[in-house]
Amino acid sequence: MKIGIMSFAHLHAEGYLQICRTLPGVEFVGFADNDPQRGEKFAKLFETKLWTSYEALLEQKLDGVIICSENNNHLPMIKLAADAGVSILCEKPLATSQPDGREILRICEEKNVPLMTAFPMRYSAPLMEVKQRLDSGELGRVYCFNGSNQGELPKKHREWFVDPELAGGGALADHVVHLVDVMRWYLGAEVIEVYAQSNQIFHADEVQVETGGMVMLTFDNGVYASIDCSWSRPDYWPAWGGLDFEMITDRGAILVDGFKQNLTVYSHVLQRPSWAFWGSDPNVGMIEDFIGSIQEGRSSRVTGLDGFKAVEVVLAAYESVKTGQPVKIE
Amino acid sequence: MRVGILGTGFMGVTHAMGWKKTDAELVGFAAESEAEARPVVEQFGGSVYQNMAAMLPDVDIVDICTPTHLHYEMVLAAAKAGKHVICEKPLALTIAQGQEMVTACKKADVKFYVAHVVRYFPEYASAYQAVQKGSIGRVATMRLRRGGFRPKKANGNWFLDEKKSGGMMLDLMIHDFDYARWVAGDVVQVFAKKISSMNPTAVLDYGMAILTHKSGAISHISGAWAYPPPTFRTGLEISGDGGMIHSDSDSTAPIINYLQSKPGEAPDVGLPSSPVIESPYTTQIKEFYEGIKKDSPVRLNAEDGLAALQIALAALESARTGKAVNLTTEVLA
Repeated sequence: MKIGIMSFAHLHAEGYLQICRTLPGVEFVGFADNDPQRGEKFAKLFETKLWTSYEALLEQKLDGVIICSENNNHLPMIKLAADAGVSILCEKPLATSQPDGREILRICEEKNVPLMTAFPMRYSAPLMEVKQRLDSGELGRVYCFNGSNQGELPKKHREWFVDPELAGGGALADHVVHLVDVMRWYLGAEVIEVYAQSNQIFHADEVQVETGGMVMLTFDNGVYASIDCSWSRPDYWPAWGGLDFEMITDRGAILVDGFKQNLTVYSHVLQRPSWAFWGSDPNVGMIEDFIGSIQEGRSSRVTGLDGFKAVEVVLAAYESVKTGQPVKIE
Repeated sequence: MRVGILGTGFMGVTHAMGWKKTDAELVGFAAESEAEARPVVEQFGGSVYQNMAAMLPDVDIVDICTPTHLHYEMVLAAAKAGKHVICEKPLALTIAQGQEMVTACKKADVKFYVAHVVRYFPEYASAYQAVQKGSIGRVATMRLRRGGFRPKKANGNWFLDEKKSGGMMLDLMIHDFDYARWVAGDVVQVFAKKISSMNPTAVLDYGMAILTHKSGAISHISGAWAYPPPTFRTGLEISGDGGMIHSDSDSTAPIINYLQSKPGEAPDVGLPSSPVIESPYTTQIKEFYEGIKKDSPVRLNAEDGLAALQIALAALESARTGKAVNLTTEVLA
């Protein structure tokens, strides 16, 4: 099983590479990057092979690629990989526009190439337990979610994360999709309406995109949900941010935090507390599912369509910010 | 000065404890029936009054702790009699009534305070002061939550009757609507959802509202009548371009009980329970009293109560219509 990575633009490529190396039966062949400086830096750091063209990487008879490019480059990358007939795991958000998203789905279908979106929260141990209990009926019928996926300004990791063109926006584009996907997964329902407000008060002088945002969704089964997607966490917050929600059902409420399984570490070096996550890494389950889906010729638990549905919500949120009223998704 | 309390439910008793810490003379209580007022009078002294009209000649201050739908007529009657007024939140059930109440008290030249007690809770007051001092810079987003269980009442549960209480948004979430406006200024748009608007027969309620402030800040307010008794939990998170403030009753509780409970032990109404030497309700009564007696500054006036009501009514309207509701500040003028 030969796996490669297309582009190291996204921070997550580092983790994915290391996970691939730990999985039995997986050969991590290397990665390609069109930025020579970035490519050499990470090739050296991880002692792995670097190709300077994506086509050259795809000639290595890969079974799967993980695409970690800038958000608006997902379409051309997927085109290349689909042409080569290689299974794809693509970073989120899948696309930055609806035409791009539709084109991605069309190409993969046409070339009969499996496409998976990187939504690791579907592989989070606490979130999976709640999904199981929900499906068993123990938790009753869901009324609503109060969700938060706040984080720090991601600029310090990669400059393009705050580039309106390359990232497709700011906090709304970055932090709405994860919880949308979790809720779609939990409910088996689709979002039919989106209301959103955003502002640019955090880091106002440093970036050209919205840094604060709140969204309210309505699903086709009547469930409603809010998501706080703000880049509101200070740089000295004990972690990068987090994802949590309160789920209210006819039995009461259940509070779920995907990133609470932490040590609190007080170090003389940092001079502030930091959280060291000891929970199970959701990325491992996600990559295992990707590999397993290729090996067994089955569908992965998250698909390209799931990625597209989340993108539709983000685009509706931007529309709502403009109009000041909720926006319907047909 | 002489004060009389209308209503002898939980809030009437709580206010009475506050008045006992002042030099005001608590002349007595009026309730729906004499039998209801009797035990409270035995506890705090004074007389049982048959009704408000009987009480008015004996008092300088009327403290209204009755169900919401009675506030309007009682405030007007107090103003007409030239008495100062303290009124529990929410001020009224409609803007028109609220405006009339504010105007009547102005005309009568009496003080009129609405008891938005959250402004007196130490964590909320401290957070407000920290924001005022510039500790976290310009406020960008705020998350406020407050939740417990559906209020119980032995008979005539007016809390659950939207015509009398306005429902959870007017009764519970209004605390945080007021606080959000105190911290981040006037609100220009409200979008909200609640279970009871979509499922009128639901056994519990949970509401969420997104407020857009004139300043550009965005607030997320959530309110729950959804937890099992005796749970009551609150939380605030204020984030600015220069830092953030977080407080959470789950993690600041100085006493945690893991005692076996007896059936029927839960109180009727969920309440915050972080012990402080002076109850926030007492701090509030003292400040109102000083405001009446010496015209000293009070951290909120009746117009603030009206503004909070306006936000809560907009949230109700939004939850009913599914539309975002725009607010004007003209109703407050």
